[in-house]
Amino acid sequence: MDPSNTLDSAFAPSENVVAREIEGEIIIVPLVAGMGDTDDELFTLNETGRAIWQKLDGRRSLRQVIEELATEYEAAEGEIEADVIGIIEELSRRKMVSPK
Amino acid sequence: MSKSLVTSIPIQELPLWEKRDMERGLFSFELELTARCTSDCRHCYIRLPADDAHARSLELQSDEIARIADEAVSLGSLWCLITGGEPLLRKDFPEIYSMLKRKGLLVSVFTNAQCITGEHVELFLKYPPRDIEITVYGVTRETYERVTRTPGSFDAFMRGLDRLMSAGIPARLKAMALRSNVSELPEIARFCRERTKDYFRFDPLLHLRFDRDPGRNEEIRSERLSPEEIAALDTADEKRAVALRSGCADLTQSGPPADANGNHLFRCGAGNGNFCVGYAGMFRLCSALCHPDCTADLRKQNLRDIRRTLVPKVRDMRSERKEYAEACGVCPLFNLCLWCPAHAHLETGQLDGSVPYFCEIAKARANALKIEN
Repeated sequence: MDPSNTLDSAFAPSENVVAREIEGEIIIVPLVAGMGDTDDELFTLNETGRAIWQKLDGRRSLRQVIEELATEYEAAEGEIEADVIGIIEELSRRKMVSPK
Repeated sequence: MSKSLVTSIPIQELPLWEKRDMERGLFSFELELTARCTSDCRHCYIRLPADDAHARSLELQSDEIARIADEAVSLGSLWCLITGGEPLLRKDFPEIYSMLKRKGLLVSVFTNAQCITGEHVELFLKYPPRDIEITVYGVTRETYERVTRTPGSFDAFMRGLDRLMSAGIPARLKAMALRSNVSELPEIARFCRERTKDYFRFDPLLHLRFDRDPGRNEEIRSERLSPEEIAALDTADEKRAVALRSGCADLTQSGPPADANGNHLFRCGAGNGNFCVGYAGMFRLCSALCHPDCTADLRKQNLRDIRRTLVPKVRDMRSERKEYAEACGVCPLFNLCLWCPAHAHLETGQLDGSVPYFCEIAKARANALKIEN
């Protein structure tokens, strides 16, 4: 994944997952096989992951996502960028998000 | 910002479960799609004929199921068990199954496998179920069809099972132990374990019918094994014996029930984090609890209100009978018994009725497992 190209792309959750908020936690439920390392897994997002996930609407570019999060969390854009690229790589590898 | 953004967790290790146990939120529900079935099993507590037009006319439609599922999901439910009757008899099963999956539910299916088609296989490959459980009534045509009383059912079962297995769809096999198949139980266990190595369970406890049909209830009673036979089956299976001892120890070591008067009826978890939807839309705290004071109509009331009003009222029900408070209400062998208010109602018409057969089973098991009474 080339970060410079990726940052200009907008990503959205795949139609093959459903994100649920239960008891304050975001749980990603795969609808199809092969997303987890085993078929007996669900996925949870920590607070940062959740903040990023909620902005993956297929319209905002990742660069916009980073700018918004940097403002909201009063954090350095470089630090946020690493988190955003990290989660996009992980979720893309599992086919849970895709560029729009 | 921290680095561990996405965590994959085995379903059984989700921290959610612990929270749910403490806060008693909703986490699962059982959905009876139909009471109709392709078989006519001697021991069945619900079965109606496959072509029963009246039963079919009462069944929840897919839009009604979607509304109930939406409510269950909004209350936090993560798991749905589709059962019946035989749920695959419904022509709209694929539509209902897919709809439940797309709501983010983990979906399990209980089936006799007799109706499994290529379309079902494609569906389960595309949207894998949490699990599929299939009951094996016998491993010979003679025994299987002695139980199901349906010619051709054994071949249909084997064909359906083969379709799933050859497509690599994992199915868990289980059995009921009854008079008509007990002689074949070792072969049934072997058959099941060969196909699902990590899992096999059998149930020798037959409860009576939800519709209280006296003729069918007599058939069920005639299929029941004796308490001594049940105890012998328990002790012959080491894992099962350990689980029963452990379950009973948990209860006996935890002291008397929360209500020291012993008149509290519900000592189980019915309705706490789960509920059951009957095929005609009846809300039940558990699948067997059909007493009219304990049910509600999901076609007329919403789930949130039912859980807020009916469930606590039922869970707080007490017996006024001294006999109950001195026997079942404080019995330390509770976990070895089939007794619960739901089954007591099916047997006696009363939620606090005593059932001598269940007492005998608990005592025979305690004796065989060397558990202090």
